[in-house]
Amino acid sequence: MLRRLCLLLVCLAAWPASAAEPARFDSGSLAKIEARYAGKPFILSLWSVNWCGHCIDELTMLGKLSKNEKNLPLVLVAVDSPEDRDAIRKTLRKLGLSHVESWVFDDPIPERLRASIDPAWQGELPRSYLYDKTHRRQAAVGTLDEARLKSWLEQQGQRSGTAK
Amino acid sequence: MMGIMETAPGRWSLAQAAAALLLSGYAGAALPHGHMPPTNPGQAVASRPAKPTLAIGATVDAQGRIWLARVENRTLLVSHSADEGKHFSAPVAVNAEPENIGAEGENRPKIAVTRNGTLHLTWTLLLSQPYTGEIRYARSTDGGKTYSAPITINDDKRLTSHRFDSLVSDGGDRLAIVWLDGRDRDAAKEQGVAYAGTSVYVARSDDDGASFHANRKLAEHTCECCRTALAWTADGPVALWRNLYGSNTRDFAFSYLDTGKVQRLADDEWNIDACPHHGGGIATGGDGTLHAVWYTHGKNRQGLFYRQVKGDRMSAPMAFGNAQAQAGHATVAADGQTVLITWREFDGQAYGAMALLSKDGGTSWSAPRRIATTADAADYPMPLIHDGRMQVVWNTLREGVRIMEVE
Repeated sequence: MLRRLCLLLVCLAAWPASAAEPARFDSGSLAKIEARYAGKPFILSLWSVNWCGHCIDELTMLGKLSKNEKNLPLVLVAVDSPEDRDAIRKTLRKLGLSHVESWVFDDPIPERLRASIDPAWQGELPRSYLYDKTHRRQAAVGTLDEARLKSWLEQQGQRSGTAK
Repeated sequence: MMGIMETAPGRWSLAQAAAALLLSGYAGAALPHGHMPPTNPGQAVASRPAKPTLAIGATVDAQGRIWLARVENRTLLVSHSADEGKHFSAPVAVNAEPENIGAEGENRPKIAVTRNGTLHLTWTLLLSQPYTGEIRYARSTDGGKTYSAPITINDDKRLTSHRFDSLVSDGGDRLAIVWLDGRDRDAAKEQGVAYAGTSVYVARSDDDGASFHANRKLAEHTCECCRTALAWTADGPVALWRNLYGSNTRDFAFSYLDTGKVQRLADDEWNIDACPHHGGGIATGGDGTLHAVWYTHGKNRQGLFYRQVKGDRMSAPMAFGNAQAQAGHATVAADGQTVLITWREFDGQAYGAMALLSKDGGTSWSAPRRIATTADAADYPMPLIHDGRMQVVWNTLREGVRIMEVE
């Protein structure tokens, strides 16, 4: 019991106050995300903090969009490794995405995680998946187009109408 | 204990939230609005030892000794083996001052050795600003006992992207280094002008690395994040890189540095507004034939490909590798009529170091062979050909550096 309590304490101490601490993404993580969004649309966006300038362009757009779209159902997955968590957090904070659900690859064999997301994906970034509420998904290869994203959000009835 | 939360997005479970507030002891832990954290915050990332720096450089000298360059604790270490990798000499540090040397993925230290034994090394020093770096160089003229103080090869003094260096020696006093360079993009930005991609720059030495000529631009508008490659031919050095055609067609190009003329390697038509992070390789065989390998996911072809270039003639692209196993990151070596290609696959359980061998200058090929496997982090395998031997060098976290013969 004491051990479990200690474990709980350790776990919770490691739990970020800002909610921007990237969680470890393993080969079972996508199923969890999908289960949590059951019946709801969401955007799964893959990026890298270490080597993908186009990802920063895309995240900059998403950061701006999320200011107006308070309920933007966005899940970010960095394909880096847990050692990069500080850089990930810093980058997301700078881009106004601190509040967004954030994950980081945690596998010495990233191919395993790629295959768990999409066997057809060879690692190029950015890459996104737009899940409708029945979880039919479309892959967006390369930087997400803002107009396409907005019209998709509209189709999903996701736009909050707070855009100015 | 903390399974998937059944609550609607935007809420933590009450118990977790209360516990978090209680334990964190400050109001900053207030409940987030709009989004909930991932479902496994209990495993929130803890600190671990530094990332493994598995990407190594390898070459062979005139005596048939294999030289390795690898990075440990921000230090570039060089050692050699006279018995095909069974034993290695005690490593000698190249940089006395530790620095953040790229040695992961498509970033690897490069090592070349001349006929008279000078060792040349280049690497990318990664700076703390994202995507910035410097191209570094050092040499040893006493057989690897001591090294010159590292110098920075890019001469623009800008804090910008200088990355993905390649190095080639003619075996004598001539040396070429190419890399991806962000100076033109940054200069354009300062003028308020959009600039697609980045540039390829060259530095050359004619005196065994004692001095370098001023940097020269080889090409503008190239892909930003794929490794470059170099080979030395009878017509001087030739470079390969992923170019930008139009606004976002990311197909490979090559250029003989002496003429500067840029040729397209293949019309893959990979139109993508993204970073493939996936470069190609090049080698020179007998009669000046160039052997090139690359990866694309273009309109016209997808996967790993090989083609020969001889003068104005190019062979039809030959596909290789198992796309279902994420085959990628191929490298090629050539010597006379022998051509050896290596790449990496993942079969769902383990990585495999794969090899294809040709004994007739790339006309016919062996069946693909899986030379070795590993079930943990791994570098990309690299081919070596010397003294009639064909070898695959592979550094893996569990097994260390292996040098394996291909028959």
